[in-house]
Amino acid sequence: MKALFLLQWQRLKREPLLIGSMILMSIIFVLSMGSSSVGDAVSVPTSFDESINEEERESWLDRLNQAEGFSFFQTDEKKAREDVALGTVPFSLKVMENDYQLLILNESAELQMLDQVVRQTFINEARLTAVEEQVNQESFREEVDQYMSEPPLVVKNETIGTESDNVGYNNELQVLFGMTLFFSMYTIIFSLSKIAEEKRSGTMNRIILSPVRKWQVYLGYMGYSFVIGFVHIVSVFLLFKYVFDFDVGDHFGSLIVVVGCFVFSVVALGMLMLGSVKTLEQLNAVVPIVTVSMAMIGGAYWPIEAVSNNILLAISKVVPVTYTMEALKSIAIYNQNLSGVLEPISIVLLIGVLCMGIGVNLFERKA
Amino acid sequence: MLETVDLKKVFKNNVAVNDANLYLDQGESVGLLGPNGAGKSTTISMISSLLVPTSGDVKWHGKSVVKDPKTIRDVLGVVPQDIALYEELSALENLKFFGKIYGLKGKELDTKINEVLEIVGLEERQKELVKTYSGGMKRRINIAVALLHEPEFIIMDEPTVGIDPQSRNYILEMVRQLNEEKGMTVLYTSHYMEEVERLCDRIYIMDHGKIIATGTKDELTSILSSEETILVELDRSYPNLIQALESLDDVLQVTEHDKGIKLIVPKGCRLLGKVFQQAEKEEAQIVSINVQVPTLEDVFLHLTGRKLRD
Repeated sequence: MKALFLLQWQRLKREPLLIGSMILMSIIFVLSMGSSSVGDAVSVPTSFDESINEEERESWLDRLNQAEGFSFFQTDEKKAREDVALGTVPFSLKVMENDYQLLILNESAELQMLDQVVRQTFINEARLTAVEEQVNQESFREEVDQYMSEPPLVVKNETIGTESDNVGYNNELQVLFGMTLFFSMYTIIFSLSKIAEEKRSGTMNRIILSPVRKWQVYLGYMGYSFVIGFVHIVSVFLLFKYVFDFDVGDHFGSLIVVVGCFVFSVVALGMLMLGSVKTLEQLNAVVPIVTVSMAMIGGAYWPIEAVSNNILLAISKVVPVTYTMEALKSIAIYNQNLSGVLEPISIVLLIGVLCMGIGVNLFERKA
Repeated sequence: MLETVDLKKVFKNNVAVNDANLYLDQGESVGLLGPNGAGKSTTISMISSLLVPTSGDVKWHGKSVVKDPKTIRDVLGVVPQDIALYEELSALENLKFFGKIYGLKGKELDTKINEVLEIVGLEERQKELVKTYSGGMKRRINIAVALLHEPEFIIMDEPTVGIDPQSRNYILEMVRQLNEEKGMTVLYTSHYMEEVERLCDRIYIMDHGKIIATGTKDELTSILSSEETILVELDRSYPNLIQALESLDDVLQVTEHDKGIKLIVPKGCRLLGKVFQQAEKEEAQIVSINVQVPTLEDVFLHLTGRKLRD
């Protein structure tokens, strides 16, 4: 078994391209998607009416930029209109003396949020201006700012739970977990496909004829696939935790345990696929279909909360990615420890055990 | 030592091997001859315990290999038809891996590796990647792997397919030495008649999954002892001449042979004159005429009605 396990590493050393590219793809995708999409501040080109002077413009930008999720920057009206018309930006804001205007490309959820943010900022400002006129006191604004920095009462909303609809949204972590799990599935299943490759080349027959027992053969291959998949995910997580400063919470050990369970289930799934196909070519065709579908349905590409179709949600209940994403997010976002995610990881392990049993059985029958 | 009893293998509705009975004595070199698809590889897969027979048994020293594959696996070396090696690794790395799975390690492993490398003549190129080897060198390492654990019995499934004459000669000589000098029992399958003639004490001829003849080379050729072969070499192909010769009373079999025609006729029949007459009639240019004693190839043709490499 040890010889078989070490052989796979020796082969990887000679042909590292496939596995290396999968790890690299995880990193590239997390870097490109994690830093630019939904969860980050959305840029809003902001133009001002001519009646507003430069000092007031700065003040408006400061006020608007206090809201989370949007980043307002000044631009001239003509360019803003052009950009919206060309579709370069989805919307732009024009601030007038007592009102505002939104130039939009189309209706979207972000637009509604933007409208709320801008409206709230205008309402707050109108209130403050109205009170300021009444009290007629120069230091009024400063006093309000000071008061708000140390408020007498703070209301904090927090939801803890493992139900998927309770899991919060953090784009960095969504992309980090989703893309890493997605690409690791390729790493695991393609490394496992060496079994099919060896059956075709005849080396597997040589191994079968040797004194090595069958369970040792399986353990040698599956052990390698497990380790390579595990190393893939953990190394990407570590890279983003320590080099790119992603906040993955305080329970990294728990994350590793969840990753271990996920890798086991994917190895088992790989065995099921190996047992179900007749040739290596068939396997190579099936792998992308299964992994992409699982990633889409399981919430690796986008949060599972975004899926509303009941059929897809039902299918997601038998996909290990769903539960792994849920567990990883619960640990990283809500700082849950392992006991808090026992349910999802138990389901992942159960899926793994079932797939492994059926997969090895099918594979043996074909042999 | 090894015996197969009514060995049968059915794949869905296709009978690949049908009641094959063969035996091998210790130190013997036995050839299994047959065209592609005759059932040779399926037979040796069952003998080596890789395939479970549909019915029948394989016995090694009287013990059933079907019931307990381990009885034969420890003493068996198999040289598969395909190059069963890790091409991205070097020959040495391949040998080390296969040696380790046979439980060899340390100095013992190194000694065995050196021994087999010497046998196959690749000591100096052992560190090169297998994928950079020529076809002949790959075949030699393919054999070396099977020899690592010093098997008592070696099965070679067409070990010379697709290689140059020089490498082929090297391999044949190596097999001869393993059999004659090291006393290894060899089961050699091939569709090259001359290889089997050169290496094997006894021959089994297989066709359509059945063993149709067995014996030493002399015993087999004596099947055609009452016949002789006339080889007519022509300047080109003359299909009409074949038809004309087939219609002659004494001709038993006519086949096209390279640029000529091969006739099997009863021994002593005076047919040459008629052959010349027919050639003249068809305006065929005869280059040479050769009267031969039957070869194994002729025996095969006689038994199956087709050439070995059809």
